[in-house]
Amino acid sequence: MPTAASPRRVAVVTGAAQGLGHATALRLAADGFTVAVNDISDDGRLAALAGRIGGLAVPGDIADPVAMTDLTAAVMAGFGRVDVLVANAAAMAMGPFLEQDPATWWRQVEVNLSGHFRLVQAVVPHMRAAAYGRIILIASGWGVIGHPNATAYAASKAGLIALAKGLARELAPDGILANAIAPSYVDTEQLQVDADDLGISLDEMRRRYRELIPTGELATVADVAGAVAFLAGPGGSAFVGQVLQPAGGVTRTRV
Amino acid sequence: MTADGGSVPAAVITGAASGIGAATAALFRRNGWRTAGLDLRPSDTDAPTECDVTDEAAVRAAVDAAAARFGRIDAAVTAAGYYEEGIDVCGITRPQWDAMLAVILGGTRNTCAAVLPHMLAAGRGSIIAISSELALGGSATDLHYVAAKGAVLGLVKSLAAELARTPVRVNAVAPGPTDTPLLVPDSPWREPGYLATLPLRRLVRPEEVAATVYYLATEGRTYCGEVLSPNAGAVI
Repeated sequence: MPTAASPRRVAVVTGAAQGLGHATALRLAADGFTVAVNDISDDGRLAALAGRIGGLAVPGDIADPVAMTDLTAAVMAGFGRVDVLVANAAAMAMGPFLEQDPATWWRQVEVNLSGHFRLVQAVVPHMRAAAYGRIILIASGWGVIGHPNATAYAASKAGLIALAKGLARELAPDGILANAIAPSYVDTEQLQVDADDLGISLDEMRRRYRELIPTGELATVADVAGAVAFLAGPGGSAFVGQVLQPAGGVTRTRV
Repeated sequence: MTADGGSVPAAVITGAASGIGAATAALFRRNGWRTAGLDLRPSDTDAPTECDVTDEAAVRAAVDAAAARFGRIDAAVTAAGYYEEGIDVCGITRPQWDAMLAVILGGTRNTCAAVLPHMLAAGRGSIIAISSELALGGSATDLHYVAAKGAVLGLVKSLAAELARTPVRVNAVAPGPTDTPLLVPDSPWREPGYLATLPLRRLVRPEEVAATVYYLATEGRTYCGEVLSPNAGAVI
């Protein structure tokens, strides 16, 4: 039996258990969206988030094509529509180009780029049927200017930017707007991971990243979630294939 | 002591009497801001001043008056400009070239110079310059306009870098062809054949540019020297 479509716009956010995805789900819910949240598995945080915002938790690996069609089917079964896709989940492993094993290299491309490509393929037919959609791909400043020891991550994120531009040109006539956001240094749980990798304190990690930012300030998850909300909301209706960089000028100006 | 006590955010908007400037003023006012409009003609703002943005002293006087009245200037939007097209590069006269640069680049410069002391003293502020997608993508038969709008981008990026370590942010919005009085009824930018080349298949609405400006003014603290492009896909 077909589900009656939700009267509210429906957004899907991947990688929503923590950090930027979590903040984005909360922001979109506050802006009036019904939000379905995904992460690779649910250790309780995803269900808690979904419960808090009255949404739907759909765990699944972005790199798994079946999981992506299942995710889309679950959203359609639950809400009968999908208006906004926020492709945020990401895998990152730092390592020198010649030393990183191919499996680690390709896993990042598989999750960040190919997995989200398949998710886009799964949701676009529903957006096309509604003649409305917003696709927001979370790229990275490293996808714009590159970064040492992050070739796979940078390549995958640069690929997302190109994917957004191509999708934008192809889908805008159908009412589906695709854009990218390229954050750089955001104050998330990832900073502790980066600090641990370098064997330094979290404060020292923050200090080192601030030095790379012309404004000297790390972005917050709320800053980036605000960019997503702008592109997903009424104000974003003339943005087609653009890349927003709420990043303190990291890729634009020299420190 | 100021007339409004400084409890409500305030914006200075040039070119506020029509088009993008007027739509921006209307949106800011709807959201509770006080607005000062600088334009050759009267604008529908809280403090309309009829002045020419090429007149540095007049701009400074209008901005200082707005700051005194509102107690603060949180945002400055430089939308003043005009458009001429259909002129071959060799046909652009020296007066046409100088006038275009004086209004678009000079007006932006004069406005920045007038608002910055207030913003730096207050420890907050957002300057948003209206450029054009033509400055990113290039164009033909309107070279003086495109050069002036491109110069604005250079000004924005450099001023943003210069002010990066202050709380004042400087960014640009580069709209696509927008449905304003600058596009005359028989403008080539209104022709169906041109619109069909845009991914969005239509002109940008001034309200969409205003929404982008408002986003930068209210949630844009991490943008530094960026160019936001509500352009219907004209330049990707």
